[in-house]
Amino acid sequence: MSAAKVKMRGKKMRNQPASVQYPSSLLNAESSPKNGGDTPVTGVHEGPSDVHPFTARPKNPHQRGGWVRGHQKDGGGYAKEMSKYITAGPFARARAAEVSTMLKAVTKTTGSCHVFGALPKHMRRRAMSHNTKRLPRRLRDAANRMREKSLQAGSKKKKEQAKSKSRKARRRHGNLLLEFNRRQRKNVWLETHIWHAKRFHMVKKWGYCLGDRPTYKCYRPSYRAMSSHCLLQDLSYYCCIELQGEEDKLLASLSQLCSKEAGPTFAAAVCLSGRRQGSVVVYRAGLYPSQPLGPVTFLWRPRTQGSAHRQLWIWAHPNMKQDLLPELQAVCQCCEAVVPPVLPVVTPAEVVPTVEPEPKPEKTAEAKQVTGTKRKRTFKDAGGPPAKKILGDGTRSPTTSVTWKSSSNGIVINDLTMEIVRYRLIGPQSHSVLAETMEPATDCDEMNKSQPSSLWWPEHCKNQSKMNLHREQADVFHILKGLYSTGELPSGTVLGLTVDDPRLTLPTKKVKALPCVKQAQEVDEEKTRELMLRGVPEHCCQSYLWEQSVRDNVTENKISEQELNRMRSEVLVPGSRLSPTPLQGRVPVLLVHQPGKQLGHEMSSWGAGWDLLLPKGWGMAFWVPLVYRGVHIGGLNMSLKHSQNKGAPHFPHDYPDCPAGVRFQEEQETQLLDKFKRRPPAKRTNYIKHGCLAPFCCPWQQLAEEWELISRQGGEERKGDQTQTTAEADALMTSHGDIPVTKPPSRVTVLRNRKSLRVLSGWCRPTTSKGQRRCRVGEVPPLDRLALTSFLTAHGMSLVWVRLSILSKGKPELHAMVCAPTAEDLKLLKKESFSGPQEPTHKDHFKSRIRRRKKAPKKAATSSLCRDKAEGKESELPSASEPNPATSEDAKSSSQSPSHLVVGLWPDPLPSVTAHCSRVTLGWVTQGDFSLSAGCGEALGFVSVAGLLNTLLNQPMEHRGMLLLRDPTSLHYRFAKINIEV
Amino acid sequence: MVRVKSRYLLCEVNVSDRSRLLLLDDRAVAATVKAAVARIHGDYGAALCSIRFSVKYLNAHTGIVFLRFPKKCYRLLWSALPFITCIETRGQKISCFLNCLHVGGTMRTCQKFLIRYNTQQLHRMLPKCKNEEEKQQVQKAILNCSLTGRNKEAFEVESESEEDEEEE
Repeated sequence: MSAAKVKMRGKKMRNQPASVQYPSSLLNAESSPKNGGDTPVTGVHEGPSDVHPFTARPKNPHQRGGWVRGHQKDGGGYAKEMSKYITAGPFARARAAEVSTMLKAVTKTTGSCHVFGALPKHMRRRAMSHNTKRLPRRLRDAANRMREKSLQAGSKKKKEQAKSKSRKARRRHGNLLLEFNRRQRKNVWLETHIWHAKRFHMVKKWGYCLGDRPTYKCYRPSYRAMSSHCLLQDLSYYCCIELQGEEDKLLASLSQLCSKEAGPTFAAAVCLSGRRQGSVVVYRAGLYPSQPLGPVTFLWRPRTQGSAHRQLWIWAHPNMKQDLLPELQAVCQCCEAVVPPVLPVVTPAEVVPTVEPEPKPEKTAEAKQVTGTKRKRTFKDAGGPPAKKILGDGTRSPTTSVTWKSSSNGIVINDLTMEIVRYRLIGPQSHSVLAETMEPATDCDEMNKSQPSSLWWPEHCKNQSKMNLHREQADVFHILKGLYSTGELPSGTVLGLTVDDPRLTLPTKKVKALPCVKQAQEVDEEKTRELMLRGVPEHCCQSYLWEQSVRDNVTENKISEQELNRMRSEVLVPGSRLSPTPLQGRVPVLLVHQPGKQLGHEMSSWGAGWDLLLPKGWGMAFWVPLVYRGVHIGGLNMSLKHSQNKGAPHFPHDYPDCPAGVRFQEEQETQLLDKFKRRPPAKRTNYIKHGCLAPFCCPWQQLAEEWELISRQGGEERKGDQTQTTAEADALMTSHGDIPVTKPPSRVTVLRNRKSLRVLSGWCRPTTSKGQRRCRVGEVPPLDRLALTSFLTAHGMSLVWVRLSILSKGKPELHAMVCAPTAEDLKLLKKESFSGPQEPTHKDHFKSRIRRRKKAPKKAATSSLCRDKAEGKESELPSASEPNPATSEDAKSSSQSPSHLVVGLWPDPLPSVTAHCSRVTLGWVTQGDFSLSAGCGEALGFVSVAGLLNTLLNQPMEHRGMLLLRDPTSLHYRFAKINIEV
Repeated sequence: MVRVKSRYLLCEVNVSDRSRLLLLDDRAVAATVKAAVARIHGDYGAALCSIRFSVKYLNAHTGIVFLRFPKKCYRLLWSALPFITCIETRGQKISCFLNCLHVGGTMRTCQKFLIRYNTQQLHRMLPKCKNEEEKQQVQKAILNCSLTGRNKEAFEVESESEEDEEEE
């Protein structure tokens, strides 16, 4: 019996009587029993024959063995020899002692320390455990005592739970607001948080609470919305950084961050004028091909007449903000943090305190409090500070500086995170949704114009030039309605606008916004064409959203929902529109066109849409009207699918060379590994047997290094063009040992040089994913040894972003391997029935080691000598069966520290990743799914440039660009067509 | 839900010589019973007796014995008990006979019966006492028999000990 069992039994038998008898040895050796002392029961009594008084008791209370704790010795005062005749005293005492032990046994039930144990089963109820009044009265006292005790024990461990208020009290507006404010102290909530939290699976990411995916099934409807109607997303978590200063100085400092080779920079003429939004990949200052930070989008404010002072917004993903912001500060030499309150009023770059008061009418609230029946509460409320709704970033303390100034060049950096709400509408009909939701702001009355007002709109109405601009912007906005599809516009078009409060035109029912092409076309076809060709004229891109003072004014003077409803209820005809639009309801907005699919030849401008930029505080006021126009709502999950369908890399998933991407990969690895380990070992996929070295995290660095080595050796040999990649791989196998020695310091990068990409794309024989159309090869130089070596000297250590379309069936998964087919595979491809080669099953040498490790502790207990023998025996076994010296060496080294071995996963020092399987590995897939747009499995991922070129060189012309894809959980290779889109 | 059912016999060992009662031993009692059953019912009886028979409790002072028999055959085994005339223990033969007081389905009922029986006996003794000293002793014993009043105290003592265990 184990110790625990003994303990359990002891507990159970505690109250049961033990037999009262005298062991023979004691009886013979001593004159009286040693434990002949007395029990608590009979102890009071001191009989005449009591040889051992109380002193005997503490000596050995448990003399009778382990578990007979509760045994009671009766007849305490007895000598061994019982008198021959019955005397009343001892007789009665013996009986009494027995009775008391029996009584104890009967009243105290076995084992369970609960009082309900005393109750028969049919009388026990579950609710008794917390409501003692359900117990019979005789048991209540004991139960109460037990309860108290358990409560005390609980309070010892954790703090006693505060007595929570009633639900009604908790749901009262003020208390609810306090609770919400408490909950958003750690993670920032977007303005649509409550709306999302009711409908989405929320995740805490990058310091925000974001909706990941809806709780209802909508994968295909969302895709359909993206391709035929409109999908709405809240992107307010993107960080906006504002730069202000002289144009040339700004450009000079920003030029260090990017290079012209990778596409248009901050200085691109179209973007600089403010007519287009641009996007660029930012690098660390002056380090262009290495150390990228990530992609950003940027927007210049259109020039004002005669001023060189410019304003620039840079929108970045929150995950890269921590890298970007110090870099920007270093580049602009902005190191002086401006403390918020000291800020001069003249500069528009002032800081709003993050906590804004809810603009509610004070008077009515007070009046209500006085008349309210709950007077007690009003007094309490008056004492404490009133709860305020948090707008903007709730996690930041109001004293943290968000502005940095440079003394040398006058550039001011301003962190506008959470100051501007950004909604993204994706889909061809997003312009009609916008056109239906928003109406250009109506003019003020003459009477209102004459009076001075604290609101911004009446002031603007006085200025004729501003009103003219507004009218022009409204005209452009009207033309928008006449478009067929959002994708018709030039990408990145910007339109500034001032609109009415969209809550005023909220439809009573959800209706799907449909385009009204015919009606608009009749009006002016000419203007529509003009818009489609040239975009919005420059002066119409101006918006008052750029002005801090206007933004604050609008945010502060927003009419609360409650007030609006009250005004609606006072309208004479119920349901009609408020006739004089309240003056507060004019909001400056910016509409930014988002380009759809730009790369590649098919499905161009798929997924184009508009971004709607709003001042903070107005999020929900625009969100609900947009939702009422029949759009679908997507979460983070959908934005990933959006970029996947576009064939664009998604940040931070597909930026393995950026710090944010590296962080993401580590997170993803731990996540996937945790998920993997949650399965029982026998039910896990054995990735070793599948020949998959890195199912959770792709070792890009190792891949690039290995391929560089291979290509260098290939160059040295120069025996001819017939060198097979497999042969090269064999060469690698032998030389694998010295890779760590000759480790080059350069880090792996992703190829973003446009020219090189174009060349590479031409070499891959760009075809459509299904191979129907051949495109112009153009002026791409022919692929040969010479061109290859020159290309590789420049980009040997690079990876390249590719799109792979599977030719037959099959759905690529995350981290699927991209492999090079052998010549035989390509020959077999001509056959109709051939779906792809198979990988032979690998052998798992680590399994035996894990098993041995499990046994080891047992053996150690028996004899260490025996274990040593077994170890010697087993370590011989793998080396005998496995001819590869590298692996067995590896095994030996890892056997010294086998603590990190996981069943089915390769331990840390990976062997050669390229030549591990029968087909040479070129890269991995980072996004893979069945593509609803292409109708076949499509994968996006990175391959090594060196590996790709070596493979292409050895492929015959008609099969050039044909690669193999294999899922980590499968042994089947599938043919896929490679596409590099520029 | 499903349990193995037994019968518990509450027997009293009546001895002629009271001083030898203290020599009693549960193993000896068990052996004696087995021998008696084997003698009366032969191999069949011995086999039945070997299955789930045990002496659950023995008080050498009062001569109370709890015997457990399988429910299926307890009557058969019981029928052998009157044929026991002596118990051999520690090399001595104690001449005695077993008197069955109660047959119960659980230990608990036997214990309850024993309480009632003992108290009854004490109560009967009280009026028959010969002198004052005896009378007082018996009265004291009767008072000790009841758990009322002491109940709470005992409970607390117990729960304290429980706490100690947990802290270890």
